Amino acid sequence: MNQPEELNQPEDLNQPDEAFAELEERLTQALCRVDPPEGFADRLMARAEPSKPVPAKVIRMTPRRAWASGAIAALVLVGAFAGEQTHLRHQRERAELAQQQRAEAAQRQFEAGIRITDETLDHARAQLARAGIELRD
Amino acid sequence: MAMAGDEFRRLIETHQRMVFSIALRITGDYATAEEVAQDVFLELHRSGEKLASDDHVRYWLRRVATHRAIDALRRQALRPEAAAEEWVEEQRVDEMSFNSVALQARLEDLLRTLPEPMRVAVVLRYQEEMMPDEIARTLGQSVASVKSHLHHGLKLLRRKAAVTMKEYVRESA
Repeated sequence: MNQPEELNQPEDLNQPDEAFAELEERLTQALCRVDPPEGFADRLMARAEPSKPVPAKVIRMTPRRAWASGAIAALVLVGAFAGEQTHLRHQRERAELAQQQRAEAAQRQFEAGIRITDETLDHARAQLARAGIELRD
Repeated sequence: MAMAGDEFRRLIETHQRMVFSIALRITGDYATAEEVAQDVFLELHRSGEKLASDDHVRYWLRRVATHRAIDALRRQALRPEAAAEEWVEEQRVDEMSFNSVALQARLEDLLRTLPEPMRVAVVLRYQEEMMPDEIARTLGQSVASVKSHLHHGLKLLRRKAAVTMKEYVRESA
């Protein structure tokens, strides 16, 4: 074993070299490595082994249960399709109603414009008539 | 990723004495030492691919075993039988012989009474035959600190051994 030089230096230890040298020798003998308990490696290997994967749980269905499941799935699909169609129809109806309302509003605006124009023309014609000017159609 | 089973078993068989002995001498308890040693190897198993060479594995095992053993010792909350200062104040027994077989056998017991930093330094120096700079790297301490722990540890051990020897002679008389 390598002797620790720094420990053999009197200025480090303030002790005679041989006193510590003997203790160091005894320590080296006393502190030899020891065997671990019997079966240490086996227990360790057992702990290190990865746990076996748990197989996925497979649910086996009887024909009757399979038929019922198929019917339920079909009903769900039909329901989803019907719902989708209803939703589309409602959307379409709302769009048609909005378009109709816009057309009616435009018609009303047009009629109001015509009426105002007629009234303005009548008023102009009356003023001209008072001034002795008669317009021919 | 964990290493292969055969490789892991080879590493266990190669290093189990070293790891177990470090854990035993630091914790001072057989069952705790086995638990610490197993945990250290399991940690190696999990990080196996990161360790390139046998030297690296040895260094890694020493370092992790030392730190895990220190952790276990602290958890045990076991304190040394007496503080270092109490023994320094003891009357010095000069020229004590260490030839007694009984005393040598008791050195290991006396080691367990050292304060933790001294005990760890002494174990790594005299069991693992590591130099102070290696111990410093392993423990993450300065070399001066390690030398100080070794110096005071030896001094304390010598005083304890001297008192033990005196009692042994008195009992034998």
